[in-house]
Amino acid sequence: MKFTLSWLNQFIATDGLTAAQIADKLTMLGLEVDSVAPLFADLEAVLTAKVEKVEKHPDADKLTVCSVDTGTEIIQVVCGAPNVRPGMVTAIALPGVKLPDGTKIKKSKVRGVVSAGMLCSARELGLSNDHQGLIELESQQATGMALVDALGLRDTMIEVDLTPNRSDCASVRGIAREVGSFAPATLKPLVASVTPLTGCNTGFEVEIKEPDLCPRYTARKLTNVTIGPSPLWMQQRLSAVGMRPINNIVDITNYVMLECGQPMHAFDFATLRGRKIVVRRSRAGETSLTTLDGSARQLDAEMLLICDAERPVAVAGVMGGLDTEITASTTTILLESACFNPISIRRTARKLGIPSESSYRFERGVDRNLADSALERAVNLIVELTGAQADPDGIDVYPGKIPPQLLRLRVDRVCTLLGTELSRDQIAQYLASIEFKVRPLDATTLEVEVPSFRVDIEREIDLVEEVARLVGYNAIPTSQPVIRMDSPKQDPLRSLRQKAAHIMTAQGFFEAINYSFVAESHLDLCRLAENDPRRKVTRLLNPLSEELGIMRSLLLPGLLENVRRNINFQRPDIRLFETGKTFLFNQEGGQPEERLHLCAVVSGRRYAESESLYFAAQEADFFDVKGAVVNLLGTLRITGTENTLTFDSEPQQVQPYCDPTCAAVVRNGEKTIGFLGKVHPETLKGFGIKQPVYFFETELDALLDIDRKPPCFTALPKYPAVKRDISLVVPDAVPAGDLLLAIQSQQQKYLESVEIFDVYRGKPIQEGHKSVALSVTYRSTTATLDDQSVDKIHDKIVNTLMTEFNARYREGFEA
Amino acid sequence: MEQELLKLKQNAEEALAQVAGADQLEAFRVKFLGRKGGLLTGILRQLGQVAPEDRPRLGQLANDIKLGLENSFEERKTQLNTAAGAVAGGTDYSLPGRYLPFGKLHPVTQVMEEICSIFEGLGFAVAEGPDVETDYYNFEALNIPKHHPARDMHDTFYVTDSILLRTHTSPMQARIMERQDPPLRYVVPGKVYRCDSDMTHTPMFHQVEGLLVDRQVSFADLKGVLTSFTHKIFERELPLRFRPSYFPFTEPSAEVDVACVICGGSGCRVCKRTGWLEILGSGLIDPEVLKMVGYDPDTYSGFAFGLGVERIAMLKYGIDDIRLYYENDLRFLSQF
Repeated sequence: MKFTLSWLNQFIATDGLTAAQIADKLTMLGLEVDSVAPLFADLEAVLTAKVEKVEKHPDADKLTVCSVDTGTEIIQVVCGAPNVRPGMVTAIALPGVKLPDGTKIKKSKVRGVVSAGMLCSARELGLSNDHQGLIELESQQATGMALVDALGLRDTMIEVDLTPNRSDCASVRGIAREVGSFAPATLKPLVASVTPLTGCNTGFEVEIKEPDLCPRYTARKLTNVTIGPSPLWMQQRLSAVGMRPINNIVDITNYVMLECGQPMHAFDFATLRGRKIVVRRSRAGETSLTTLDGSARQLDAEMLLICDAERPVAVAGVMGGLDTEITASTTTILLESACFNPISIRRTARKLGIPSESSYRFERGVDRNLADSALERAVNLIVELTGAQADPDGIDVYPGKIPPQLLRLRVDRVCTLLGTELSRDQIAQYLASIEFKVRPLDATTLEVEVPSFRVDIEREIDLVEEVARLVGYNAIPTSQPVIRMDSPKQDPLRSLRQKAAHIMTAQGFFEAINYSFVAESHLDLCRLAENDPRRKVTRLLNPLSEELGIMRSLLLPGLLENVRRNINFQRPDIRLFETGKTFLFNQEGGQPEERLHLCAVVSGRRYAESESLYFAAQEADFFDVKGAVVNLLGTLRITGTENTLTFDSEPQQVQPYCDPTCAAVVRNGEKTIGFLGKVHPETLKGFGIKQPVYFFETELDALLDIDRKPPCFTALPKYPAVKRDISLVVPDAVPAGDLLLAIQSQQQKYLESVEIFDVYRGKPIQEGHKSVALSVTYRSTTATLDDQSVDKIHDKIVNTLMTEFNARYREGFEA
Repeated sequence: MEQELLKLKQNAEEALAQVAGADQLEAFRVKFLGRKGGLLTGILRQLGQVAPEDRPRLGQLANDIKLGLENSFEERKTQLNTAAGAVAGGTDYSLPGRYLPFGKLHPVTQVMEEICSIFEGLGFAVAEGPDVETDYYNFEALNIPKHHPARDMHDTFYVTDSILLRTHTSPMQARIMERQDPPLRYVVPGKVYRCDSDMTHTPMFHQVEGLLVDRQVSFADLKGVLTSFTHKIFERELPLRFRPSYFPFTEPSAEVDVACVICGGSGCRVCKRTGWLEILGSGLIDPEVLKMVGYDPDTYSGFAFGLGVERIAMLKYGIDDIRLYYENDLRFLSQF
């Protein structure tokens, strides 16, 4: 909602308050001021000037050379305007001034004659469309004065960002009413008196068939109207608040709407058939109406229409029809000032896709009691400005008249809710300052009559808010609530996610956050089968674009897009992870199932952020991801049923976006709890990535179901450990991890731990074999072990491995 | 012999004092202390020819001189190393340290966790809710019926007529209150969605919702809690102002502005010359909302608030383009 200070002052004096002060007060009353801008700022440097002498340009027929008095000096200006003459007072733009149309004034030569400025037309000054000649000011006007002052144009535009509840402030007078709560002046009425509308001898009829949708309809006829432009001051006010002037009648209806908040419409009376207005819904067969913007609008049976005796002539409260609009030849008009149901208007405006200034106000609620005075105001302006005659009477059909609303307001309720002390009379005074009628019912209760323009006030709490904002939120004290202590339960999934994220960052991974909506093409790029449950996605009805059309069922694609972006920006060494929800189909028409996933990717060099002085440029591989997984799960105390997690290839479980030659699952006991491997080359190609990417994914919801091993103390060993190494040659197909498992499963006495410390293929090992070196640690909890007892056990272990894996000692290596 | 030894000692000490740099030090060692052809070694070799009765005394002396010189040599070596430091072939402390760097949490996560932990410190519990919500919880239960103009404030992504992406974290207000009785204190962090995308809006962003319900909770309490929070999150006691506003699910409703963290209130580009920055929306929970979850509004009252995490992160870190948050550029992520 925009208004100008001068317009505001038409309804309330604001002497002693600057525009900035008014803006601040309004903001603190809940009418947030978005901008305060001086009008005609471009014209600030344009001055009044008197033409002293006019001579023909020596070298151009249509140009003159003028001597101009700018108030401080006499300068020479070349001019092309036909109306220039000695003695004329007009406007001059001196060098350095930038006109509203962008023209920058410079001292120049026009056909060889020096011109030290420019005399301007109204159009050049952005004041009107008049370009017939120079703007002409009154001859006694002093020279050297700012043009904006000479024309009385100095004004400030203030824009308020209205909240949807304050339809009463969608008007200059509504704002003035709020200003009245802090300015020491009284609000002026819209009109001095209102002609009673009795409906006698009006020469037309009004019938409301849908009183629920149209609680009131007033109308009046005016004759001998001359259509033309509206006066300059009105055009300027309309332009200042962003409305395009059209013609005097349309401008006046808009002007009155802006002034008091009542949308109005004018029909060309001659085009209305049957001298009748009927307010009704559309009938069968009435499917279309061409509105005054020239488009044919589809009508439906729900829409409320304004019709004449035969056909629809306007979409009620939204837009008028083309056939009955005001044209240059209109002489008789019917002026409508009515009230419509907010929900009905909102529905219609949405359906037709034509939000208008009128529907904006009706949707939010227009004061039912305003229609007649607004009509009076418009009629007065039309008579005054167009020379028309108004019919002495008009029609006011008011089926929806309701008695004023009375609310009880408990003083202690106000004080308790606001946490401040206010007396009954203070509260009454605050409410009275914005035209609420208040009377005490008893010592602690007020009865408040809500003015009809405050359509948002229906309950006691609404009055509490009014009091609060009039007191001023910042005048309300600040306190701390007194509330019983309790120890809130932690959300276990949230704790798990926090821990997981911290472990990932400790391993050099950066956290990414991607949009929850993605392109459906991701599913194809991930090579998901037709029947993959992750293809049953949640689809948006109104996505911003195809690329953001479905809710993600996988996290990997988002991270792959991040990988590509980082490579493109010369950061090819990447460790990223994301924890986020995936959305999977649950039941028809219901909410999808939301599961919290963790996905991580590794690409490029292994120690990207580390000093290359120490860390050679090694490419990351599968084991970087596996290490991260073991570290993550281990730190989360998910350590497998036998104290080890199993990593395995599981051909049935290879994810379609995973390279089958490098694809593993991680199992906790029998249960698969994550997938890791190398991203499938085709998927990478689809995402435009040319370097290998390794990934890991798990579902945090599922990890939550695993019994996590609580920390448990083991006494520190008192006796030394004995280490024995074994190096065995085994067939290549034997997983090294199986050797570990075979040793551990023997559960030999004193066996403490075993680890792999070398794997070697190549000469002198025969082809198809590899050498695996293991280090076994033995320890007794009761004594220092001697060689003999260790040898006995160690030999057993080695012998078992030899037979079980068809292994033999590696030559030249002593156990 | 004795004279020779004492002379050697004196010469050696003088020479050592003259030594500058590792090369000269090594030359000194070879000349005096070298096992092959070193001057001291040479004298010691002659010890066998000395009269037997003098041997123990001269042997002791020679040994003392040898030990003394060796000590002086080591001392000088340390001195030189310390003085010439890096250059002289010792440790170059200017070389980088060796470590495996951490990654970092996304700035939005960092700020969201910080917000939650401030409220946890005040006894608030943390709850999360579904991103894909029903129209009921996102709107109806919050006193925003169908065709309410306040729906214009929410550019909503729809899945079906009655299922949508939550436009705020407020739906959890009703979900929480439905399942338990006051007193209650909750914050709800989460992703929210609006179909809006430009310089200052992304279609997904993060909010933290908060609510506190008990007997006799007042607007003054709301001011107190939000003031404490704001002072903590910005680590400064910045002035605050509470401004009337409108949300269908709170009444009275307030927007909270903090004195511009950039200019301190004198007016700059970030605060659009107003000196104030809007950081959160809040209010007393509307009686209609309380009624819908079965609370008696005459017995219980409460307040709720919602704040935008990206906005606070922008102010804390001086980030000037909201779109950077979701590009996951490592050059961005590594800054926080």
